Amino acid sequence: MALLTVRNLHARVAGKDILKGIDLEVAPGEVHAIMGPNGSGKSTLASVLAGRDGYEVTQGEVLFDGKPLLELSPEARAAAGVFLAFQYPVEIPGVGNIHFLRTALNAQRRSKGLEELDAMDFLQLAKEKSKLVQLDAAFMNRSVNEGFSGGEKKRNEIFQMAVLEPLLAILDETDSGLDIDALRTVAGGVNALRSPERGMVLITHYQRLLDYIVPDKVHVMSAGRIVRSGGRELALELEQKGYGWLGLDGAKASAAEARR
Amino acid sequence: MTAALAHYLDVATRFQAAPEQASAPQWLKRLRADALSHFERQGLPTTRDEAWKYSRLGSIAEGTFLPRTEAPRDTAHLSAVVERLGLPGPRLVFVDGRLAPELSSVAGLPRGLTLKPLRDAVREDGELLESLLGQRALAKEHAFTALNAALLEEGALLRLAPGALSEVPVQLVFLTRGDAPVLSSPRILVVAEESSEATLVETYASAGPAGSAATFTNAVTEVTLGDNASLHHYKVQVEADAALHLGALHARQGRDSRFASHAFAFGGAMARNEVHAAFAGEGGDATLNGLYVGQGAQHLDNRTALDHAVPRCTSRELYKGVLDGQSRGTFHGLIRVRQDAQRTDSRQQNRNLLLSESAQADAKPQLEIFADDVKCAHGAAVGRLDAQALFYLRSRGVPQAEAERLLTYAFAREVVEAVPAGPVRANIEALLALKLPGAAQREVTA
Repeated sequence: MALLTVRNLHARVAGKDILKGIDLEVAPGEVHAIMGPNGSGKSTLASVLAGRDGYEVTQGEVLFDGKPLLELSPEARAAAGVFLAFQYPVEIPGVGNIHFLRTALNAQRRSKGLEELDAMDFLQLAKEKSKLVQLDAAFMNRSVNEGFSGGEKKRNEIFQMAVLEPLLAILDETDSGLDIDALRTVAGGVNALRSPERGMVLITHYQRLLDYIVPDKVHVMSAGRIVRSGGRELALELEQKGYGWLGLDGAKASAAEARR
Repeated sequence: MTAALAHYLDVATRFQAAPEQASAPQWLKRLRADALSHFERQGLPTTRDEAWKYSRLGSIAEGTFLPRTEAPRDTAHLSAVVERLGLPGPRLVFVDGRLAPELSSVAGLPRGLTLKPLRDAVREDGELLESLLGQRALAKEHAFTALNAALLEEGALLRLAPGALSEVPVQLVFLTRGDAPVLSSPRILVVAEESSEATLVETYASAGPAGSAATFTNAVTEVTLGDNASLHHYKVQVEADAALHLGALHARQGRDSRFASHAFAFGGAMARNEVHAAFAGEGGDATLNGLYVGQGAQHLDNRTALDHAVPRCTSRELYKGVLDGQSRGTFHGLIRVRQDAQRTDSRQQNRNLLLSESAQADAKPQLEIFADDVKCAHGAAVGRLDAQALFYLRSRGVPQAEAERLLTYAFAREVVEAVPAGPVRANIEALLALKLPGAAQREVTA
């Protein structure tokens, strides 16, 4: 059974239709890349799946692990195993990174009927997971994302994912704005988290990410629809020919151009 | 004359004419009598008075409150309440405005510190009291200060000898039982002589069951800091829902002195807290911090006044409000920089977090600057919980109520963390955790 099934999904923001019929199926263990020019609706899809306010689903359905996802609160989706790595991770002054993550993990464990982790056990777990993305202990004691560089914020997202161990990870432009070293670190963390049970959806503007995280499937989005799906070769073709190759209007900032 | 004014005049007149006051020293009789005439002349303030524009006096203006005329009895069972609220260390405890000796203890008071009930100080330190009582808190300028002085009898004297140092906090605990509409008028006098340093905690709480009668506390604290002296002052007000509370602290700071006031207002139907600090010598430093947390129909009023009368003094103010339900919080902060007060460095900040549609915050910064070589900054803000932050927390699995609580605590903790780590801060953290919305659900620790 598919982990994630999106059928004919339509959504609007502030009265404007953004998603116009998305179909997508992600099986456990698969990594899907969703590419597309700016404004194609990639990030909207991620927000709708995570349950962000302000998005109105007008048609279609989403099943997660066979059950309807869209009626769940964001926290219930998280507890069910959905994780969104934010394009712009939020700074939260006054809330300690480690305290926040322990609160989140324990809330998820409570909802599954598992025992909560005490501070010591959690710290042990956090230390181990932080090695994946080379996040040092000092970051854990600071306020959530406060004063973090762009790369540190993205590493923190992957660190959180490693601790929360979701069934489905949606990475919304996790690669954008990263230098190659940071990208390698983040990609290394993601690759380490690939597993036969876990599905991943990588939303990206740039093919470069796919040099480091090799996807099973690639989809190209345009104007609220998936216009082309294929294997990894589709991404390479896109890189060579640009989004214009698919006849996508207004796709000036093509992936290929962006790399020159 | 309103009925309420007549009531309070009558209460004070009867108090002053009572047979047991016949033996009071002349200076005290005169102080009370003068205060009474000041009170009568001023009358009760109304919202038409600028200084009381945001304060609803509520049932204070109905005039039903009476002082306790006899010493409190059967207070032994209150020791559990005192233990819960208080800290280890020397303390005086008052019940319904009257000293409760069996709950009080000055054991462990460090050398050079004197802590005694005001009644004893009137007998034993008459000269000192005569020279200082009513000198900082002026009855002629403030009706409720006048009323407090007209009824002046209970309270405490804390005196620090030159160079005296106290590592343990000195505590004053004021409990109301709520079995009658009691008026309490404590007066606290702090005299810190040269290079002395101490911590004083004033705690106001209710000991009665929920739904107890309204009580009216009208407290006045006068602080005199000598050259290079330092006082950390904490006011923790956690009275019951029905309580009415007025408090005014007036500090006069000598050269190079440090005064830090931390005011926590969590309780009461209406609570107004005033902190006035005046620099009388160069090099002084004042920190005025406050946190007010309102729910239901609570009305929490904060007023600060800094008088930069001399050069080279520094002041820092941070007041934060967390307002839920239909509660209302106000901050009115006056900074006056007089003509001679060159090189003044003053900063004031007031920030409010509204947790409901009907909660309300009023911020009124007021700067009066007559010197030209000064640094003065102020800011005021009213906002709501950050929707982005809330979604971020929820997307990681933190339930909405818990996420709101985390963010609310994050907002409030800045004021708590300005309190040096130790038992005083731990106590305030615990009281805040009980007070914050959703407190019963889950304990939050940093």
